[in-house]
Amino acid sequence: MKKVVVIVSVLALLGFVLAEIPGVVAGQWTQGPLGLILQPAPAKPGEGAVYRVGAYPLYTSELADGEGKELVMGYCSICHSVTYITMQPPLANWKPTVDKMLKTYGGEKFIPPEAAEKILAYLQAHYTPETRKE
Amino acid sequence: MKGKVDRRHLLKLLGAGGFLLASRPVLAQTSAQAEAALPSFTGPKANPYWNGVHPYAVYPQKLPLLRMTDRPVQLETPRHYFRTVFTPNEAFYVRYHLDEIPNEIDLSQWRLKLEGNFERPVELSLEDLIKKFKPVSIAAVNQCSGNSRSRFQPRVPGGQWGNGAMGNALWTGVRLKDLLDYAGVKPGTVQIQFEGLDRGKGPENLGSGRFIKSLDLDDPVIEETVLAYLMNGEPLPMLNGFPLRLVVPGKFATYWLKHLTWIRALTEEDKNFWMASAYRVPDTPNGSTTPEEWASGKVKTVPIGHFKMPVRSFIIDPDGSYPLVAGLPAKIRGIAFSGHGRVVKVEVSTDDGQTWKPAMLGADYGPYSFRTYEFTWRPERPGTYVLAVRATDEKGNVQPDTGVWNPGGYLWNKIERQEVVVLAAK
Repeated sequence: MKKVVVIVSVLALLGFVLAEIPGVVAGQWTQGPLGLILQPAPAKPGEGAVYRVGAYPLYTSELADGEGKELVMGYCSICHSVTYITMQPPLANWKPTVDKMLKTYGGEKFIPPEAAEKILAYLQAHYTPETRKE
Repeated sequence: MKGKVDRRHLLKLLGAGGFLLASRPVLAQTSAQAEAALPSFTGPKANPYWNGVHPYAVYPQKLPLLRMTDRPVQLETPRHYFRTVFTPNEAFYVRYHLDEIPNEIDLSQWRLKLEGNFERPVELSLEDLIKKFKPVSIAAVNQCSGNSRSRFQPRVPGGQWGNGAMGNALWTGVRLKDLLDYAGVKPGTVQIQFEGLDRGKGPENLGSGRFIKSLDLDDPVIEETVLAYLMNGEPLPMLNGFPLRLVVPGKFATYWLKHLTWIRALTEEDKNFWMASAYRVPDTPNGSTTPEEWASGKVKTVPIGHFKMPVRSFIIDPDGSYPLVAGLPAKIRGIAFSGHGRVVKVEVSTDDGQTWKPAMLGADYGPYSFRTYEFTWRPERPGTYVLAVRATDEKGNVQPDTGVWNPGGYLWNKIERQEVVVLAAK
């Protein structure tokens, strides 16, 4: 890390020295903060009458650490990844959403009431306008 | 048939469009700087960005798109892919409700099944569909009901799309009407039901197990509906519904079933979850209500299929990520469409909607297609400007400058704005 900083500083200094025209800033570089996306290799698309795309990749978001996280990971992920939680805007009240999952979509078939309560408490503790961090 | 474009004529237009596209200068800028990422979420205020704040990810047959959710998968199309009138297949957005979706399909076993109240229930292979029926083509916009949901105030739960849950394609396939005539709809049929291969792990009667939609047999859209096996001239990407997708011109994408495999003639109104409980909107002229009225429990709702997609327009360039220069021409351009029919006018404002000037419209690819527009603006004074764009369709519908509100986050069509900076050149 130190080495990178030194290289970047030297480059920046060089750029400063090279900028002969007033008002021009040049030679600034920084470590890319957005990350790389790897290029997919060519795939075998199928044969005979079979059309194939292979397994779909998962890019599941990290949940905030806290009590109940494991329950959320276990139960909510039966039907959908927890990216469905991090994707939402911060909600002041998660109860209507949790109730919708339990009753409207039938989640109560899988999720015991005690676990559902803890899941709601977890969401209120980490994903409201007041509590949401990331 | 109303709404249909003669195929040869359309292909000729496409050729011309391709030429124009190739000969116009490319604007490569898509973000001002690469020094910081967007925030990972927006709210409780409205999302201020054109797209949702989702990160890029790579999926089969797709360029890097904005990953809203990964399972079930939902991918948003980045803004700059709307510079062309037809949205490239590899950039076309993806929206599933359920996670058991096909990874492979054996066409030697796959059959489209027409069941229920038909004279001659039939099963058809893809080859049957290609060879036994006359192909038709139609340019049509596919837009998610919840496109732009992240604009709602107060925010509503659901997929937090920016504006990129839409796309325009040339769809080619079989007319639904031809298939219905082939199987013979028996008297007493009230709705035609559609189901694809998508399945989920929840109970099958509650919407988390199956995804099913129905259209009224007497809905005029039945005449215009196509079962597409080509999208922009190529087989559909798996994530857009290979091998066959329902194309319901003018209606929201919730009716455009992917991997379409069952067509059923129903003698009673479909009461399945996806018709009776989901995708319902307040029964008001623009589908809008207020949080207070909704909370009172007295708001009557109807399936979103009762609505055609409201007229919309979008500013694609400039996107605010690069400055304009005083004294130099700047092209303001983008797309417009309406589920009610052709866009006949697009107006541009460079003063935040106080005054409007007509833009030049691009080629007409039929009533359900995107239509491009372009407006050359020559800002003389440096400063910050707010651009706005407003479309009018052939039925006289004009975009409003107020946003709707309903608990599902549907039917957004408020006038779009874009702030731009004009630099001094002296």
